[in-house]
Amino acid sequence: MNPTGIIQAIQDNIARVIKGKPQVIEMSLVALLARGHLLLEDVPGVGKTTLAHSLAKSLDCSFKRIQFTSDLLPSDIVGVSIFNRQKQAFEFVPGPIFANIVLADEINRTTPKTQSSLLEAMSEAQISFDNKTYPLNQPFMVIATQNPAEYHGTFPLPESQLDRFLMRLRIGYPSPEEEKKVLDRPQSLHPAEELRPLLATHDVLLLQEQVDRVLMEESITDYLLAIVQRTRQSDLLSLGVSTRGALALSRAAKALSLVRGRTYCLPDDIKELAPIVLSHRIMVARTQGLHQRNFEQAERIIQDLVDSIPVPV
Amino acid sequence: MPFDQALRFASIWLASTSFIGLTLGAGLPEWLAVLTGAALIVALLRNAGGKSVGRLATHTLMSTTGWNLLVIVGFLGFWVDMLWVSGELLPAGVHFLMILMIIKLFNLKLRRDYLHLYAISLVAILASGSLTTDLWYLPIFLLYLFVGVWTLLLFQLTKHPEEPRILTMSVAMRPQPLAPVSQVTPQFFWLANGLALATFGLTLVIFFTIPRVGAGFYQKGFGENIRTSGFSETVNLGEIGPIKRDPSVVMRVELSDGPPQEAGRLYLRGVAFDQYDGKAWTNRLNYRRAVSEDAVGTFVLRSSRSLATPRLGDTIRQNILLEPLDTPVLFAAPLVERVSGKFPSVQSDLTGSVYLPFPSSSRIEYSVLSRSNPVLPEDLGAEPSVYPESVIRHFLQIPSQPERIAVLAKEITHTQRTIYDKATAIHSFLTHNFRYSLDAPLTEQDQPLEEFLFTRKTGYCEHYATAMVIMLRTIGIPARLVTGFLATEWNEYGNYYVVRQQDAHAWVEVHLPHSGWITMDPTPPSIESIGSGSPAWHALGRMLDTIRLQWGRFFVQYSAADQLAVVRELRAGSTSARNKAFDSISTLFSPFIAMFGGMAGYASKGTIQSLAEVLVPTLIGLAVLLWLGIRRPWSKGMISKRTTRDEQVIMQLYGRMIGHLARKGLAKLAATPPLEFVRLTQERWSNAGSAVASITDLYCRARFGQIPPTREELALAEDHLRNLMTLEKP
Repeated sequence: MNPTGIIQAIQDNIARVIKGKPQVIEMSLVALLARGHLLLEDVPGVGKTTLAHSLAKSLDCSFKRIQFTSDLLPSDIVGVSIFNRQKQAFEFVPGPIFANIVLADEINRTTPKTQSSLLEAMSEAQISFDNKTYPLNQPFMVIATQNPAEYHGTFPLPESQLDRFLMRLRIGYPSPEEEKKVLDRPQSLHPAEELRPLLATHDVLLLQEQVDRVLMEESITDYLLAIVQRTRQSDLLSLGVSTRGALALSRAAKALSLVRGRTYCLPDDIKELAPIVLSHRIMVARTQGLHQRNFEQAERIIQDLVDSIPVPV
Repeated sequence: MPFDQALRFASIWLASTSFIGLTLGAGLPEWLAVLTGAALIVALLRNAGGKSVGRLATHTLMSTTGWNLLVIVGFLGFWVDMLWVSGELLPAGVHFLMILMIIKLFNLKLRRDYLHLYAISLVAILASGSLTTDLWYLPIFLLYLFVGVWTLLLFQLTKHPEEPRILTMSVAMRPQPLAPVSQVTPQFFWLANGLALATFGLTLVIFFTIPRVGAGFYQKGFGENIRTSGFSETVNLGEIGPIKRDPSVVMRVELSDGPPQEAGRLYLRGVAFDQYDGKAWTNRLNYRRAVSEDAVGTFVLRSSRSLATPRLGDTIRQNILLEPLDTPVLFAAPLVERVSGKFPSVQSDLTGSVYLPFPSSSRIEYSVLSRSNPVLPEDLGAEPSVYPESVIRHFLQIPSQPERIAVLAKEITHTQRTIYDKATAIHSFLTHNFRYSLDAPLTEQDQPLEEFLFTRKTGYCEHYATAMVIMLRTIGIPARLVTGFLATEWNEYGNYYVVRQQDAHAWVEVHLPHSGWITMDPTPPSIESIGSGSPAWHALGRMLDTIRLQWGRFFVQYSAADQLAVVRELRAGSTSARNKAFDSISTLFSPFIAMFGGMAGYASKGTIQSLAEVLVPTLIGLAVLLWLGIRRPWSKGMISKRTTRDEQVIMQLYGRMIGHLARKGLAKLAATPPLEFVRLTQERWSNAGSAVASITDLYCRARFGQIPPTREELALAEDHLRNLMTLEKP
């Protein structure tokens, strides 16, 4: 299997639906191949759900969508036990989390209790229910969305839980030309429904394995660690990047290398990924006089930081 | 100097060093030595830049087939040499080795050939090591070690996959050679020498600590034994004379109780003779018995103490290093009591001489405890008493026609009463009335003794001694002639006597009724000084001799016993150090010392079990070393940083590109990663974009992907760089 060709084909496939956002598409593939989860944060109506849907459609994967509301319960995600009369026993009915790609829409609208049940599943790749453990499907990827514009009636995710997401992306408005193309499209059908699956579940797993074999030269690891170290020392930040964050950056860099058709990482990969992989894992210091949830501010700080660290030559 | 050239130089020097070693050690035939030397000089000249010489030598001399044929001829020659000419494997092998070296020197083309040359020179230096035990081997070996480290280092550094020559040329013949880092810099110079020094230090440690198992293979049977005279069963009068000018060293005698007492002379007794037929001395009492050995391996001679009286003389302890001689006699100061050394057995005859069962073909070391035999007061005053029958039977024999001599003896001694006084009278008569000279051709004479006493009155030690013995016997005093060496050359640096062939000597032993055999030397002390030159030169010579002795003792003859001695000294040193309040240091080392001490204790028992107990820790130590060598736990970082030559080349190219772009105003910031820099360049200087992209791609692959570029890619990248340099920035 030639990974480069397949990956390119998937990107093209999704690009037929999501116009003018090749970078976002690429990054969502990176998250998939790095066995990570994706947090999409943007205003409503720019295609967050559509991106998740089209990714799932291109992959021949099962896809479930959970609309998070304030009265959603953990059992609505994980599943419930129902008494089976014939068997005279309780039977576990799996919830929507038992899918390959799960879209958790508006994740910050539900209670922390429900949020944490999802996040536990994300990190463990399994569900414990009634003293039994149920493994989740593989590949397993959660694409969560949240709306930064409104804060009323939301339960913001704590840093420890944000850390579980590999990267946080903003989609942004398309350019006018691209937007026009979207408008010109026939509206009768959801655009993602047209997509053909290009990759079997098994092949996704193979690609994920291939990511592990991407070479990260020692000096690049050092470079990565220098960045992480700097976030911990910076006066602008009150919380630096954790070891899990460093690991996430390393995995994401390897996946990006594979997506770009290389068998080795470059400093470019690290530098490009640092803002989107690290910015949701840090806390901006209050001395900056800004709202600590301002992700754009965090991204800018990371970007400045990376711009000051010499790359290996 | 570029690495390539340095490698060629070092390789030829390596070959030269081993050649010098062999020439000094094996005595190559002149034609072969000259031929090899010429080949080495030609190879050096070729390398030194004489391109024309080189081309001449490689291209006009012979084709590869011709050289191969020559190797076959040389191999056949080796068999002929071994079976008929030299008749032995080692010299023939050495000759063949030199021929191979000559052929290789003219065929140094591929890296393989260099490896062959190293193998040949290694075998050569090993062969020369086994052929010699002399001191000059040390500087040669050191030189070989240093050059060897250099060569292997350079060989490793110039390593790259052997490509077809055309491709190599295409890169190498570019106008700008790609070798700025491949220079022999001062740092490299010191690194290589430091490495060699460290290797030498490690070698020394291994040499001194790893238990000895045996001597060298070729140690026996090589080197000719020194021919001595005067120690066989029959000695013609005048035989010693010719060797009195031979300065070769026969033995060195170390006195462990400090410098000698009496006038800086030490008699080293060899053989005693009882029968004189007018021309030659013969030892009839040559029946040898094995000397009994005591519990610690010392041979104790009891016969010399048969006349023991309570008042015995001083003891003299000697450690003697005897060169291989053609006689089995063990020399020692008179009245030997105990002999110890690495001999299976020791024999002695009735005159108290000590022998090995057969002459040793290698240098031997032994220590002797002697006890001097003073004249007892009973003999100073007493009238002549009766001698034992066995003494009278053997030591009163005189040749025919001794009338004049007997008359002379009576004349000298008639006023004297005691035996001792008579002997002293004859002794002083000979000492004062005769002239010592080595120019006495008395051997052809019919009556050499009478000639000496009455006609010439000139002679050397043999004549003096013979005259005294015969004169004593004519007046009824038992006496015998003793040959040996008279050591006079004291080496103050090493506390030992150097004994040379020219120190061969003959003297007299007189039997006194109470004291037994006492030594008397009628020869006047020689006035002729040995050699000429300033005292400084002599001192230097003695110092050199000391170094040579230490070399022999600590390297050539270094054995398990010496190892034990070193360990014991270490132990003693540690106790004294402890006494001197160096507690911390000795505690630090005491486990090791205890370990060595334990080993020493076991090894001295000499049982199979002890061997195992020495071997097991050694093997464990070796296993640990091997494990460290294989795992190399410390070198993880080193491996990933190792770059091949081609990787270096592309990295240099990239560096030059960055430098060029910086001069054009496109400086790469430290925080700019390579691909981002390509994008920036393409934005600001689109013409240069493709070249920069392709070089950067190769660089990234080599630097971060560890995929070395091929030769074609390198050549292409260099083209790109050259194009880039000609481009004008808008």
